[in-house]
Amino acid sequence: MFRRRRQDSDFSAEVEAHIQHESERLREQGLSDAEARAAARRAFGNVMQAEERFHESGRWQWGDQLWQDLRFSLRMLAKNPGFAAVAVITLALGIAINATMFSLVSAFLLRRPPGREPERVVVISTVNPVPGFQTDATPVSAPNYISWKAASKCFVDVTAGDPNRRVSLTVENQPESVRSAAISPNYFDVLGVSPEIGRTFLISEDQPGQDHVAILSHDLWERRFGSDPSVVGRTIRVNRENYDVVGVMPKDFQLLGYTTQVWTPLVINTADQSPAARNDRSLYMFARLKPNVTVEQARAEAVTVARRTADAFPESEKGWGVAVRTLPDFLIYDFSISTGLAILMTTVGFVLLIACANVAGLLLARAAGRRKELAIRISLGAGRLRVVRQLLTEGLVIAVLGGGTGLLLAYWGINFMRASLSFNEAISAVPFRLDWNVLLYALGISIVCAVLCGVAPALNAARTDINTNLKDESRAASAGRSQTRLRTVMVVGEIALALLLLVGTGLLIRAISDVHNQNLGFRADSLLTVSFRLDDARYKGAAKQIAFVNDVIRHVEQIPGAETAAVTSDLPATGASSVTLRVKGQQDLPTNQRMTALDFVVSTDYFRAAGIPLLRGRTFTETDVAATPSVVMVNQEFVHRILQDQEPLGKQIGLVVSGAPSQWSEIVGVVGNVKTYSEGTEDDPEVYEAFLQRPVGSMSLMVRSSSDPNGLASALRNAVAQVDAELPLSGLMSMRAVIEYQKGGNPFFMGVLGTFAVMALILAGIGIYGLVSYSVGQRRHEFGIRMALGATGSDVLRMILWQGIKMTAAGVAIGTLLALPLPRVFDSLFFGIHVREPWLYFIVVAITILMVAMVATFVPARRAQSIDPMTALRVE
Amino acid sequence: MSTQENKKPLSLLQGTLDLLILRILAAGSQHGQGIARAIQQSSEEDLLVEHGALYPALQRLEVRGWISAKWGTSSNNRTARFYSLTAVGRKQLLKETAKWKRQAAAIGRILSLAEEG
Repeated sequence: MFRRRRQDSDFSAEVEAHIQHESERLREQGLSDAEARAAARRAFGNVMQAEERFHESGRWQWGDQLWQDLRFSLRMLAKNPGFAAVAVITLALGIAINATMFSLVSAFLLRRPPGREPERVVVISTVNPVPGFQTDATPVSAPNYISWKAASKCFVDVTAGDPNRRVSLTVENQPESVRSAAISPNYFDVLGVSPEIGRTFLISEDQPGQDHVAILSHDLWERRFGSDPSVVGRTIRVNRENYDVVGVMPKDFQLLGYTTQVWTPLVINTADQSPAARNDRSLYMFARLKPNVTVEQARAEAVTVARRTADAFPESEKGWGVAVRTLPDFLIYDFSISTGLAILMTTVGFVLLIACANVAGLLLARAAGRRKELAIRISLGAGRLRVVRQLLTEGLVIAVLGGGTGLLLAYWGINFMRASLSFNEAISAVPFRLDWNVLLYALGISIVCAVLCGVAPALNAARTDINTNLKDESRAASAGRSQTRLRTVMVVGEIALALLLLVGTGLLIRAISDVHNQNLGFRADSLLTVSFRLDDARYKGAAKQIAFVNDVIRHVEQIPGAETAAVTSDLPATGASSVTLRVKGQQDLPTNQRMTALDFVVSTDYFRAAGIPLLRGRTFTETDVAATPSVVMVNQEFVHRILQDQEPLGKQIGLVVSGAPSQWSEIVGVVGNVKTYSEGTEDDPEVYEAFLQRPVGSMSLMVRSSSDPNGLASALRNAVAQVDAELPLSGLMSMRAVIEYQKGGNPFFMGVLGTFAVMALILAGIGIYGLVSYSVGQRRHEFGIRMALGATGSDVLRMILWQGIKMTAAGVAIGTLLALPLPRVFDSLFFGIHVREPWLYFIVVAITILMVAMVATFVPARRAQSIDPMTALRVE
Repeated sequence: MSTQENKKPLSLLQGTLDLLILRILAAGSQHGQGIARAIQQSSEEDLLVEHGALYPALQRLEVRGWISAKWGTSSNNRTARFYSLTAVGRKQLLKETAKWKRQAAAIGRILSLAEEG
């Protein structure tokens, strides 16, 4: 039934009618007009209250009261600008760092990959049986791609791509080395993307002879071709050959972590299908699931197919597995940023919790000062719920103001992050900004903050006892038990969180800085490096490659300031490729258990140039050439792990290159260990081959200089150009810069984490200070009594300090318990990081926190010491 | 103990106001002031109703649908809001009355027991 709500005016009229009826009756009994009316009003009681009660049952009450509460909150805040500023800024900082970090989550983890229904696309990779970093995202070999594609029944279509290539691109006689990907013609169809202009590859274009076509990225098109649409159909030079541009991909087409500039067709020739090619794993398989086929079904099928392959080709496939992930999952996993982001988000979340506790403490302290006001309001007829709502609204107003300010700060924070992260092209290729996700997230956490901040004072108010509070409140000797408990819980919680953060951050920073400052095993200072690839077009065969290298080294060593120059297949500590090997005289192990070592091919002066110490035997000489017996050098770890510390010199080892066992090589020298990765601490067995005996096409050149290596850059470029003017150079930078680049965000990550942890400590300190000084203020009367009864000032001081110590100790204990598993967690989360002496951090952090807590307690406690008992007892 | 004090009107027991209103209205429609007077008179001035408290109760009963209201003219030619019992209200009155009587009887029995003892 539809019932129309009564108007306020209707109700007022009814009340007025009542008063008139009643006064009329009283007049009839002989009272005067004025007396009758007064008596009628008296009998009615509180007219206002009755109207209010009626009003409160009305429908507009909620919005109306909210508006009232809002106005009142703003007035209260304006009246206490200091309090307002502290509360708003505290929350703003907390919300700003959360929103800033969340912009990374939004950009890296929440963004859908481009293309149609990306979650229906799966990526198939292989699982390397040798333990290491993300071994289950290893690419697939060409023979396996072909046979798995033929055997699978779960997919609409399967394609492959090798995203890790580089080509030299020459536009208007300007050579440049750019990232490229070789892809099967159906690659873009499987992903479900169309080009911005032109077309993608035709099915026939993966055949030799028809494969000289290229697709450009939007970025390259803009940068090198001025966004000229007539680029389609034009001819460009790729690896010194003519390619026709057939299309340009749209701006937003770039998979996470990929920075491909040029796509060319993937040609799989007969050599790529030979047994030897099974060890060349460089393709990722992308496949679109058939409707109604789940990822689990696809995975089960892939496992079966892979097992069949392993049985058929045990030599190369034994032990290798297969992994199937959806495209979004794979990209995020492969980018391996989740762990770092999870730690950052946890950290900023904790900082925000501490900030909330502080603001809640402030509100609580202020609510205590307002107890009388609240009691009066309740006795005047305000419902308890109403008062609670009022206090929650105040929390909300502060949180919204803090959220708004926080977003403003986050805007700058995000810009700062973008500038700080630009060292890594894969990261800077991902646009992160203040997007809708970040806005929604900021709004969400602001509301959570409002509740967290407002709930403590509101709960307190809900228990307000009108009578005790309306009487002189100082008569209550001490604060109620529940209040004390609430405060204690907040202080203990803040301390526990701060300890957890400080220990965690300390451990991580220690682990990262250990890596940062470790001895890499070579002298990275004063080294200039550059990388290039000798293309088959001009440098086919060992003789030409050796001639080029000799020529270049001769030219480079003539540069004034250059001391020694050498080439190497991989720069030291940059994660060289590994090679399987056998030791003469040792029993042959099954393929999957064979020993591996990092494989470097280096020119004669490499060890002198890099500053790697020779420990035993000799280094390579000019006479170690193809015609002389094959020789290798190894590092200490090789002697220890592979030769079990037997005499290395004279031992014969065989390196299994490209599947086919090569001839035996003699170990002629032992050098010191060089770290596998500059960003990790592990040492692996390393083997060095002589460039003159087994030249390679892709290499880096390093020059040791007597001064700042960067000063030699243009001279080095000229020296190479004198030998080959068209050879594209990449990565011309000092070895230090290479290492910095490799560390990626680690130093930055360290700085950010450290800042947050210190912020947490400061916030917790302020919080403890606020709560203790509030409690001292509350207990003035109690202290007055104690002192009147004979306690001295220092007794009171001791008492407060003791209580502070007890709270801090409880917080430290809880925090320590929570932090205990951290060293193990970090060891397992971060590849190549090991936390040493973790207990040291627990002790240092606990002492730091104890000291901060003591200072925060001592300052307000001194105020209690100076209380004059007479004044404290007389006035409130 | 003076008798004066014993004669002082009693405050209403919690929850009985609704019942009294329903009972008064069972005799015919009445406006707010009339209901207040009726309670006081019928109880021979023993019960005191704060007139202001009456209206929220009336509002409550109206929302529950036990009584209905419309504006009308009172005997002395003034406009007033007249309340009358609905069918649901009548049923409710019977139920509540029975309940109240049982309660009162039970309490009375216990109290008289105490007096005798």
